[in-house]
Amino acid sequence: MQINMEDMNGVTIVRMNGDIDINSAPDVKKSFDTTVSEKKDKVVINLKEVGYVDSSGLATLVEILKNLRSYGGKLKLTNLSAKVKGLFEITKLDKLFDIVPEEEDAVGTF
Amino acid sequence: MEEREVVVEVKDLVKDFGDRTVLNGIDLKVYRGETLVIMGGSGCGKSTLLRHMIGNIKPTSGRVELLGEDITDRYDAELDNVRKKIGMSFQSSALFDSMTVAENVSLPLKEHTNLEQSVIDIMITMKLELVGLRGFEDLLPSELSGGMRKRVGLARAIAMDPQIVFYDEPTAGLDPIVASVVDKLIKDLSEKLSITSVVVTHDMKSVFAIANRVAMLYQGKVLEVGTCEEIKNSKNPMVQQFISGSFDGPIHFFQQKDDYLEDLTK
Repeated sequence: MQINMEDMNGVTIVRMNGDIDINSAPDVKKSFDTTVSEKKDKVVINLKEVGYVDSSGLATLVEILKNLRSYGGKLKLTNLSAKVKGLFEITKLDKLFDIVPEEEDAVGTF
Repeated sequence: MEEREVVVEVKDLVKDFGDRTVLNGIDLKVYRGETLVIMGGSGCGKSTLLRHMIGNIKPTSGRVELLGEDITDRYDAELDNVRKKIGMSFQSSALFDSMTVAENVSLPLKEHTNLEQSVIDIMITMKLELVGLRGFEDLLPSELSGGMRKRVGLARAIAMDPQIVFYDEPTAGLDPIVASVVDKLIKDLSEKLSITSVVVTHDMKSVFAIANRVAMLYQGKVLEVGTCEEIKNSKNPMVQQFISGSFDGPIHFFQQKDDYLEDLTK
């Protein structure tokens, strides 16, 4: 799992590459520690290069959302493949997350 | 035509317990994504076959492959990796009585992963929602009905996102309505999560409610394998007797032995 973080006009953009599963989920969680401690309040996670998210990966994203919300931060997910979007729908998480088709759209709508 | 991926393969499996042969040359394949039901009367060897498929017991002869790995001669420690990819729902639910629902479901996650408790807690909520038991996290198994305990067992079986779930008599001891609920749950989990399911049962209503394919076992052999329609229309009188539940037919419950009187007077 590769995680790349970039700050663009006050929006933290996180691009992930690989599966978010039981092996990588702890690292994904850890990679947001600084974002949360610095209280970054506009975060976009781009999942374009993520092929699969298992339930530990979904739970990790929920935990990140909870942490951001604790200080009023907002999170948007973008570029989900049909397969990954299906996983969010099965678990009803599509109703919890703000899912936006493209990264550019998400950055401009905070 | 696209070739279907085999996820479990049993080859010429024989199992003897003492001088009794329980499985006698079983050949069976399970394909990815399907629900295969193994049906047969009590004592026909179907649970023994299931336990071979997950490497719990070793055959007298023959081979077992699970997710592409030959597990025939492997023992517990060597099976850890492949077992993380499967789930098992036991006939008795096999819950720990002293642990709450949440603790029972989270057990495999605590044993096999480095996930933080806060993430595990979210996963438990998601799994319990899938089996319709969200809100029951803090109850003990003794405070649940039989059907609820089965569903907790199911939630635990899918805790690690398994590729295959093995079910041993999932509806045994349940009333018909609760049995239907469990059947629907097995079907939903298979379809929604694309899980391969292997179900051992003698509950005919369950068989036709959940199966893509059915294998009928009798006296340690696979009598017939086919789709639900093929099994329903089977010309085999033993299959037909089992489906109809009729007393009369080629399957005898009691072994007729000629030495009864000799046995009494010896």
